[in-house]
This record gives sequence, structure tokens and C-alpha cells, in this order.
Amino acid sequence: MDQRYFEDVEPGDEIDVSWDATPDAVAEFMATRRLASGVPPVEDGPEQVRPGFERPIVPGSMSLAVLSRLVTDWMGPHGRLRSISASYRRPVYRDDRLRALALVTDTEEQPGGGGRVKLDVYIENERGERPLQGVAVVELPGRA
Amino acid sequence: MSGAEPAFEYDHDIIGVEFQVGQATITKEHIARYCAAVGETNPLYLDEAAAARGPYGTIVAPPSILSALLMEPRPDPDVRFGNTSYAAGTRFEYFEPVRAGDTIRVSALVKEVYAKTGRSGTMVFAVYQSRYRNQHDAEVAFEEFARVFRQA
Repeated sequence: MDQRYFEDVEPGDEIDVSWDATPDAVAEFMATRRLASGVPPVEDGPEQVRPGFERPIVPGSMSLAVLSRLVTDWMGPHGRLRSISASYRRPVYRDDRLRALALVTDTEEQPGGGGRVKLDVYIENERGERPLQGVAVVELPGRA
Repeated sequence: MSGAEPAFEYDHDIIGVEFQVGQATITKEHIARYCAAVGETNPLYLDEAAAARGPYGTIVAPPSILSALLMEPRPDPDVRFGNTSYAAGTRFEYFEPVRAGDTIRVSALVKEVYAKTGRSGTMVFAVYQSRYRNQHDAEVAFEEFARVFRQA
């Protein structure tokens, strides 16, 4: 994994990765939720459709995890994710073909080297909709 | 606009009351399984040798593992409105890494419940806050989460 340095980042830089929200992937994600605490999940099962939705949806926490991965993979081992937020504007449906994207919107140098980088983050589906939109803030080291 | 409050009810007494909602020990195995589920390949989370050379000297968990840490249900404001509910938004702030072997305790409260009326009708929002602390009582993360209730 490459290290990203603050000096190499500029507003307008873009990152993206594709992601298929397959039922198997969602089921595995739900299974991991039980591992640490043993508490059964309260969300619906793989095939259940909630009122108001066309098809089974992907848990919001899984979509947020994919956005987080996009950012943490990009920043490298010495970067730190400081915050991430997301608004759930539309449902993310299981079996949708998705892309997780990020756009650098601001950079701020910090005393002592390195700096903070602000990114708009979002999930885009095959219909061109953006069901999740949010903001991430990371700290990157300087080259010195 | 009539200015009338939309009809919804909830448990007012629960607002601001902090509950301990559980604790969990984050093992290397748990981290590996979580990484497989969300496609994480970062060696800091998965490769002991690489993690030992990294900034934390040991395997750490992806920050997002906290959002997938299932505890007892959050405090329930018992919102009585509509026929469906789903996540409206989340914000996480991270203060400390979660290291393999850490035990994370979670406390949570209901910050507020309010209604908003827009083009798609009235929606009721319940806002929750959660604090994640490790076994040294250091706060590792803070979360604010909103759930929306509406008539579909």
C-alpha cells in the first residue's frame, strides 16, 4: 500500500472504486456484526423488503464501511481518518452495481508538517443516483 | 402551512439519558472477517509483520468496524409515527485507533426527536449519540446517528 503525502494532494483530486452489493456480501457483513458481541442483528434478513422499498436494501453501516475503505486505502498506512459523515438520501439496493467516489475539496497545512484534507464522499448507483453523500476528513503526513 | 404540529408521539423521558449498551473485544479474527466482508486489504489490518512496522506497532481495526459493532439495541424513544423507518445519516469522529485485543464499551443516548415537513410529507427524526471507549477508558470514537420514521 502506497503512502499518500500531504504535498501531493490538491483540491480536485478524485478517487473511485467499484462495488457490487451482492446478497452474499451483505449476508457476510451481517454475520460479522454478531461476532464481537453475540447480539443478533435487528435489521431485516437478506430477502425481506421493508415498506416503501422496491427490493431488499443494503445496511447503511455497510455503505459507510465501503466509503471509509475508499478513503483509508487512498491515504496509506500513516494517514488517519479523523471523521466521516454520510446522509442516506436514497436506498442502496442489494444487487446494485455501485461506485464509491471521493473528491478532494480542501487542504490545510498543519504546523509541524503534514495537513488535513477534506473530501466529499459518495456512493453512485448504475442509474446515476447518489444514494449516500457525505464528507471525510483525513490527516496526511508531510514528506519532510 | 397551518403551523400545526404533525401528530407523532415518543417517550420524552428518555431524551438525554445515557445507557451502557454493551462491550465487545475486537480480536484479530473479528478484524479479518470484517475486512473480508467489506473488501478491506490494508496490511495494517491483516498482516502482523506489516502492522508491526506500521505506525501503531500492531494490528489495528478499520475505523468503520465500530459502525458495524452490534450491541444491545440503542435506547428506544418509542417513536409512534408512520409505517417504516431507516437510517437518515451518520457522523463518526475518530480519536484513537482500535487495536486488536481492545475491549470497546459503548454508551448511547437519544439526543432529540423532531418532525420535519417537506415535499415528500412529514418525517420524524430520532437522533442518537454513541461514545466508544477502550479498556483504558480512552474515548476512541463518537457517533451521531439519525433514524427517520415516515409513512410509506
